Amino acid sequence: MKRYITHLLLLSFLLPLVSCDKFLEDDPTDRIPIDEAYENVNDLWLNALGSIYENIGGSSASQGLQGTARGVWDLNTFSTDEAIIPTRGADWYDGGIWQNLFLHRFGNVDFTGDTWNYLFKQVLACNRALERIDAFSVKHPAEDVTSLRAEARALRAMFLFYAMDLYGRVPLFKNTNPTAQELKLQQRSAAFLHIVDELQAAVHDLPVDRSPRPGTNYGRMTAPVADFLLAKLLLNAEVYADDDWTDNARPDASSMMWTVDGDKMNTWQAVVYYCDLLGVYGYTLAPSFNDNFSINNEESPELIFTIPMDIYNYSNRFTQQFRSLHYNHAAALGLNGENGPCATIDAMRAFGYGKEDSDNRLYWTYYIDEVHHAKTSDPVLLDDGTPLVYYPLEAHLDVSGTPYEKTAGARMYKYEIDLASMSDGQLRRNDIVLFRYADVLLMQCEAMLRDGKAGAEADALLNAVRSRADMEPRPATLDNVLEERLLELAWEGWRRNDLIRFGRFTRPYTDRPQLDADVKGYTLVFPIPGETLTASGSTQNPGY
Amino acid sequence: MSRTLLIAAAVALLTLQVQAQHIAPVDTTARLASPDVVTADQMSQQQVTNPLEAINGRVAGVTIQKSNNGAAAMNAVRVRGTTSVTGGNDPLIIIDGVFGDLSTLSSIYPSDIENFTVLKDASETAQYGSRGASGVIEVTTKKGSAGRTSVTYNGSLGISRVTRNLNMLDAAGYVNAVRALGLIPIDKGCDTHWQKTIEQTALMQDHHVAFMGGGERSGYRVSLGYMDHDGVILHDKLRNLTSNMNLHQRMFGDLLTIEVGMFGNVQKNQTAVYDVQKTFYSAQAWNPTFGTERNSSGGWDGFTYANQINHPLALMDSRTRDKTTHLSTHAKLTFNLTKEWTVSLFGAYSHNEVEIAQFLPTSIWSGGKGYRSSVKTESLLGLATVAWDKTLGAHHVNVMGLSEVERDTHRGFYTTTTGFSTNAIGIDAIQSGAVTLWDGTGSFHDAPSLASFMARVAYDYQGRYSLTAALRADGTSKFGSGNKWGYFPSVSASWHLSNEAFLRGVSWLDDLKWNIGYGLAGNLGGVDSYMTQNLLVPAGIAPVGETLKVTFDELRNANPDLKWEVKRSFNTGLNAAFLGNHIIASLDFYTSKTIDMLYLYNVGVPPFSYNKLLDNLGAMRNSGVELALGFTPLTTQDMELNINANIAYQYNKLLSLSGYYNDYWLEAPGEVDMVNLNGAGFHGGNNHIVYQIVGQPLGVFYLPHCTGLKSDGAGGYVYDIADLDGSGDISIANGKDRRVCGQAMPKVLLGSNINFRYRQWDVALQINGAFGHKIYNGTALTYMNMNSLPGYNVLADAPGRNIKDQTATDYWLERGDYAHFDYLTLGWNVPLSEKTRRSISNLRLALTVNDLGTITGYSGLTPMINSSTAGGTLGVDDKNVYPVTRSYYLGVTITF
Repeated sequence: MKRYITHLLLLSFLLPLVSCDKFLEDDPTDRIPIDEAYENVNDLWLNALGSIYENIGGSSASQGLQGTARGVWDLNTFSTDEAIIPTRGADWYDGGIWQNLFLHRFGNVDFTGDTWNYLFKQVLACNRALERIDAFSVKHPAEDVTSLRAEARALRAMFLFYAMDLYGRVPLFKNTNPTAQELKLQQRSAAFLHIVDELQAAVHDLPVDRSPRPGTNYGRMTAPVADFLLAKLLLNAEVYADDDWTDNARPDASSMMWTVDGDKMNTWQAVVYYCDLLGVYGYTLAPSFNDNFSINNEESPELIFTIPMDIYNYSNRFTQQFRSLHYNHAAALGLNGENGPCATIDAMRAFGYGKEDSDNRLYWTYYIDEVHHAKTSDPVLLDDGTPLVYYPLEAHLDVSGTPYEKTAGARMYKYEIDLASMSDGQLRRNDIVLFRYADVLLMQCEAMLRDGKAGAEADALLNAVRSRADMEPRPATLDNVLEERLLELAWEGWRRNDLIRFGRFTRPYTDRPQLDADVKGYTLVFPIPGETLTASGSTQNPGY
Repeated sequence: MSRTLLIAAAVALLTLQVQAQHIAPVDTTARLASPDVVTADQMSQQQVTNPLEAINGRVAGVTIQKSNNGAAAMNAVRVRGTTSVTGGNDPLIIIDGVFGDLSTLSSIYPSDIENFTVLKDASETAQYGSRGASGVIEVTTKKGSAGRTSVTYNGSLGISRVTRNLNMLDAAGYVNAVRALGLIPIDKGCDTHWQKTIEQTALMQDHHVAFMGGGERSGYRVSLGYMDHDGVILHDKLRNLTSNMNLHQRMFGDLLTIEVGMFGNVQKNQTAVYDVQKTFYSAQAWNPTFGTERNSSGGWDGFTYANQINHPLALMDSRTRDKTTHLSTHAKLTFNLTKEWTVSLFGAYSHNEVEIAQFLPTSIWSGGKGYRSSVKTESLLGLATVAWDKTLGAHHVNVMGLSEVERDTHRGFYTTTTGFSTNAIGIDAIQSGAVTLWDGTGSFHDAPSLASFMARVAYDYQGRYSLTAALRADGTSKFGSGNKWGYFPSVSASWHLSNEAFLRGVSWLDDLKWNIGYGLAGNLGGVDSYMTQNLLVPAGIAPVGETLKVTFDELRNANPDLKWEVKRSFNTGLNAAFLGNHIIASLDFYTSKTIDMLYLYNVGVPPFSYNKLLDNLGAMRNSGVELALGFTPLTTQDMELNINANIAYQYNKLLSLSGYYNDYWLEAPGEVDMVNLNGAGFHGGNNHIVYQIVGQPLGVFYLPHCTGLKSDGAGGYVYDIADLDGSGDISIANGKDRRVCGQAMPKVLLGSNINFRYRQWDVALQINGAFGHKIYNGTALTYMNMNSLPGYNVLADAPGRNIKDQTATDYWLERGDYAHFDYLTLGWNVPLSEKTRRSISNLRLALTVNDLGTITGYSGLTPMINSSTAGGTLGVDDKNVYPVTRSYYLGVTITF
């Protein structure tokens, strides 16, 4: 018997050997393999492209094109004369990052690289989507595959546009595992031409639907979105075609020729063409400025591209008001506030703050002076029982220890307060506006002026925007256009782009002396993260 | 003295029963037995929540540090330092052959433990292969034994009180300080010491009863234990019910021994501290003029200038409850087939469930938050060994083979709600929150498996020379094909010099032995299932036409080439006993190199899709010397004195964090921040304090140098920062005006205990210490900044200094050296008459004081902060330190 036991026992040792290979295989049950994720066209869109849209907004820092902190929007806004985050005693010093961002000491702003990572995460997601669409294309109808491909290409072009705008040089690879050679940073002009080509190639396979309207194409890349991007790209041609932004010289866009839908035209004419096209598609100014920022702004005829917002289902956050409003003010509106960002003194002067004829958009865009509870009209009080008053002309770089430490600066309004919002007021229903038609009219006006076509037609474009705000007409001049863009598009993330195009980004203004090196123009782009430079063997942007 | 350790390791794999034979019998010298085996007798007599605390300071090279002073705080344990950055550093815990982790130890009542064996040498840990790199702690619970049956009760009652808080400004001081700044204070007219308002005197009770007995061929032991400990912070409470059962029986003559065991517990914790820093930051910095009463609407007044903190009593309205249920059963059959052949089969099943329930009221969380989760882990282990043991004259050979399979199944779910209209309900009906956000709910499952084989040969000649060689192979489901299997060889040798003829005549030398070993051990602590595969997980919601659907995405970079992190170690040492075993000493040297070290690299996007990649690049060195000494200067009938001390010097160096992943050169930046300050005005920027820097020990302070305070021109002072890089202007960014100025982990660890007995009375004192490291006093940096008024209160010293700056410099970097008086116990073994002894065989009373005091030059609350775990708090005291406490216990032990 002992022998049998011995044999049995020895046999039991070998058991694991027999079944080992199977035993050591994982059997994932809470996730799916790639080959099961793209079985039908809906799934192909959902799992190849859906997650790209999932990340056009964001829920954490530096993620998303707008709505979150320390991302694309912050870089384009707090580096300009439009908005500032003052140091307020113990609050908002944060190691000096906000002061450094405002002063253009970008090397001391520790989140500039996070935005690069976000944008290229999205570029890679587009490349991955294209690879998956190709791999699974035999299973699906050809026309569906064509439009999905166009959608992914146009999205990729959009993220490259933001990257090229912020960082100058970018890599132009089309796969998900690029070699060092494919990762080489391309000159800005090459990237610019590439992005324009890609958009022009994709736009004809995109639906002409309005993206901001709920329905099949809600929040998606449609032809008008691509056309807007083309207009925006071409309007900045002199900046984007300039491979050396530190020499204070730019190419002349009037002599650059483009083929647009079969016709040859110069840059400014091309901008006008795309702007006209958007008019043809039926985009118009909304009757009221505020319609664009209301809780139900989906129906505004002016909106071209938005980040869809939904309290329950989407994780996209809108932190702009949350960060800006005073604690007590936010609480009175049913939100929470961090009492930080505010408008600059220069912006307040442009709006005519304190003057009889101040711009009507001043009070549509900002909270200033005394503010009130959402439901009652009682004034919001400070902890000591006195009314909260915002002081627009006290907004300096560091207001610590001053009587205005917590109250300096006009705060962001613009978006209707959603009393049903959640999570400190960051989850709300107002869709976040990325592109809208008022910008198109101003772009068209500017292109005409730059093309030497000042006159009644250009005036009409500018004054269409002004009269919607019930403001007196002004003659269309480049200066007036730039100021109108500040008034109309404040806190919409375009100020840095505008100032650079107008050559005014590096000029000194209140609380921002001109830095020695700034004047050379190296701060027109941000530094590129070291990891990417290492992987591609490329050099850093000049000056960093 | 034999080389207990090596044999203990070998034996543990062989049979538990044999292992028991190697435990030194309890006699006078038992207290001075091998430094790495701690028997029940030697375990500390202080009252402990987790059994591990009982061996704190007892084993050279083992650091046991409570993460905080909360009732349910977990311990961090390091065996011979930190050898991994990402892979986990907690030692493998084995309880009666069942594999577990540190949390499993709370299922064992300290009184049920027979002994701890700490395996730290190269060849010992190598025999645990992929799980051995961070050391192994084996726990053997008490078994029944032949002899009379007995029942033992031990219990204790205790209280714990706060002995030290931070000295913040009182109401008058606060109001004056705010006025002096030219600001208008918010003065509500009270004078509240907020730290005290969230504290309580904690009561504690412990009860344990054990039944044991047995005959010639069988034995049993069954025990029940119950702990009920309050914490010193309001609402802090821990309750733990444990049970342990062991049976053994011999059958078919001596052919078969059957052992069956079971242990389990239910532990419930409750706390109002949902965020340690927020709680103490609030209690320290809240406006002292506020009152402790609720306002007219039943809530707590806010103070909006201080939006990083909350009303301290509002925080006390939060509740976090967790409940851990653990059940473990195991059985072992040992077949003594012949004199030479032994075969054993071991099987274990354990089930662990952790439930968490949390409610944060609307006063501290926008919309309130309700959260519940449950994570179940089932673990199945099968192990078979065959051993051949033969003595041929002077030669003794032992050959052993082992095979093992293990599968751990994890299942969990969680759900979160918000939008509460009332704070009255909370945890038990979280549906009283109106909103369930998509990303607040989920479930998961995985079931990683591990298969192992091991062969080992041990040879001994005349008890003079011995040599052991082993090879272990481990396979895991977590890695891709090609990397599934890891091989872990080891070899060790020893020379028992005192058994040599030339030393036999040396009368003062009782024992002398030299040993040397080398081995490889692995680590896969940082690797989860599926990390090598491209799989799609639910990523978010996107509209498809008129409906909403969930998109699937990859969300992280998969690395198909992941493999084991390997630690190669070498050690050598001497064990000696002198003067009739009155002095015992051991001296060990070790050095280890961790290679293929797992590290989460920041990678470029592109080429990677996401900006983090876990890869096996990098290396780290750990070396050290450990000295353990035991003296028994006095042993008489009535008196006995034992003094034990161990001292360990450890040195750690991060050797490299770079290499090629396929064609890409991956390299961690020169300086990577590990620990940052938190709080108002510390969000980002250059508030990094502790870094990992290649070429330096893991966790060094890398800070701007402050040459002193300078006037800010307005009556205040700011930190004067030196231009270290000589660039002409000051930049405190990495690589600019910063320098390495100390390490966070101690260089030298000291443990010592003194036992003195006089007749029936005994006294024990334990002193632990740590030296050679620094602590960043971020608490002082924050609370000395007068700019934080009026929102945040400041230290009583602050107005006198008038610093208006909170730039992090080395100004607040202090020496962390300390010696801590862990406990003092006074015991009395009540003399019993012959007659009483028939019913009560033993009666003991003991009075213990825990945490008597600390000798230190550190100016903060306590130097006993996290100085061992490479996490977000290493070496930095940042408004997150529990108040200093002292506790007193009265205990009784009766054996019937």
